[in-house]
Amino acid sequence: MSTTAPRPAAARLSNGEAIADLARAEEGLISRRIFADPEVYALEQERIFARGWFFIGHESEIPEPGDLVTRSAGIDPVILVRDDEGEVRVFLNSCRHRGMRVCRTDRENASFLRCPYHGWAYKNDGRLMTAAAEEHYEDGELDKEELGLIPVAKLGSYQGLIFASWDAEAPSLDDFLGDMKYYLDIIVGRTGGVEVLGPPQVWDVETGWKYATDNFTDNFHVFSAHHSLVELGMLPNDPDFAAHGHMIVAEEGHILHLTPGAPNEHYSHMGLPQELRAQMAEHLDPDQVEMARKTAYSAGTVWPNFHWLQLMSSGTIGQPDVPFLNFRLEVPISPTRTRMWSWLAVDKDASPEYRKATYETYVRTFGPAGIYDQDDMENWEDCTRASLGPAAKQHTLHHKMGIGRAVDETWPGPGRAYKDSYGEMTQRSWYAAWRTYMSREHRADVAGELRS
Amino acid sequence: MSALGTAILPNTEEYGRVLEFLHHEAELLDTYRFAEWLELFAPEIEYTMPVRTTQFLTDGEGFHESGFFVDDHATLMTRVKRLETEFAWAETPPSRTRHFVSNLRLERSAAGPELEARIGFMVTRTRQDLDYQLFTGVRRDLLVPDGDAFKVRRRTILVDQTVITATNLSVLF
Ligand code: FES
Ligand SMILES: [Fe+2]
Repeated sequence: MSTTAPRPAAARLSNGEAIADLARAEEGLISRRIFADPEVYALEQERIFARGWFFIGHESEIPEPGDLVTRSAGIDPVILVRDDEGEVRVFLNSCRHRGMRVCRTDRENASFLRCPYHGWAYKNDGRLMTAAAEEHYEDGELDKEELGLIPVAKLGSYQGLIFASWDAEAPSLDDFLGDMKYYLDIIVGRTGGVEVLGPPQVWDVETGWKYATDNFTDNFHVFSAHHSLVELGMLPNDPDFAAHGHMIVAEEGHILHLTPGAPNEHYSHMGLPQELRAQMAEHLDPDQVEMARKTAYSAGTVWPNFHWLQLMSSGTIGQPDVPFLNFRLEVPISPTRTRMWSWLAVDKDASPEYRKATYETYVRTFGPAGIYDQDDMENWEDCTRASLGPAAKQHTLHHKMGIGRAVDETWPGPGRAYKDSYGEMTQRSWYAAWRTYMSREHRADVAGELRS
Repeated sequence: MSALGTAILPNTEEYGRVLEFLHHEAELLDTYRFAEWLELFAPEIEYTMPVRTTQFLTDGEGFHESGFFVDDHATLMTRVKRLETEFAWAETPPSRTRHFVSNLRLERSAAGPELEARIGFMVTRTRQDLDYQLFTGVRRDLLVPDGDAFKVRRRTILVDQTVITATNLSVLF
């Protein structure tokens, strides 16, 4: 007896448009409708945010038992906590009784979480310890064993990065990351681990979330969007300066760029200090070390909305570029509003001098006040505003660059690699994964399609 | 605020000069005279805006080492020069801002001639055809006498928001 259900027809919007037609990724034609439309957003909640894997935080944010921070998993509010036994857990931040937010700070240290509404109290491993007015329940009315905080369905961490999913049928984190682990190792495993410095910057941008996502895998906006820095001599006056290197399309929609800088020692090994460069051979294989050596700039996306930016920049005219590693997450709040989260990470073995330099460089150049980043948000917001009307929604955006470019068969790493860092194959791959999540009703079909 | 400082009251000439200095600075920012604004800072200026989180009061006011701004004179100069290019898109075309300063509490620092000022601020910003973005908080300025006016040697911008509800922080404080 076959238990395999027939594949359902692709999801359609109420106007009859098929989801598959909204993201014609292979042709580089993406409908403007998907960026700020309430109906698309509603479907994304079920099809993406209830089923994907999402970045929650970094282990270094909760080093001690009882440490917790409040975050989102997908778009649901969660508590990320290290329990008294040292285990990392993620729970819906909502009381089992009436749904009150149990933890109402951004960070604290707590053995117990007491709900303000009626006083139910939970241990930091999620168990309900005491309810309110317990003696007024009859036998069988209050099963405390069954009433712990609601955990995510799946939880995992890789190199200190904590991810969770609400879908019990999602692949394991290990399978989900797949090929991408090889490249994550170059960024967060190259010296045996990184940690984040301080709480993240958080700010709300009036953009559909995917305009931000699209920008995190886009090298060739830099010369125009950040042209003020070219004018100041802080970026090369060469439209092709970030055009070289490779773009890689991995399983499950993960994507990245590995881009060289100027051909000199300063820009090799992602610009890291010599003592950190020297550690790479211990932690990476020779091909990975060679990739690191050739790279100055790398942007990567763990599908859909977690990004790293490993960049080099300067906050001061005339001063040399300094590297930094930035983690980014965009969490939609509405079809046209997105909460941006941004962390600065540094190799655990970094010197105090390098920590200071990399942190200052990051804050001055990226994040909401960064002299680069502030112009990016301007683009996402105005793209969003121009995508709201019924006329705009009948048209597509243009993502065709490099559509005919062949895979570089000589690339030693996993995934499909394409020469050069200017091209829209990473975006096309992202939108193809979006289409798969949005149009496949069964979770197994999502994973199947994303690995084929 | 230094516990040993001496309060300078609103009915003094010195308080009036500080207030005039703060109003002058606000006017420079709101009329796009950024290079003149930069002249108000001492070469050793430390200009910071820490990240804030929601915490229990017993855990402090929620300000952290990580920040939204960590600037010195050279990086402020870079910001100003950037605004003077035609390509700083976050401010091209420019926002309209209004810098309000109030609730000035002033003390002479125990150590020397510097004045420590706590200043309530409100900055409104609108750009293109868009709604207002609002920034409020307290500034802690360390002012060094400079003739009849002052130079700002340290500015700590303590925002009220934990989540900045603005496109970006391309406005100056
Ligand atoms: S809602 Fe939490 S105890 Fe009632
Ligand atoms: Fe950018």
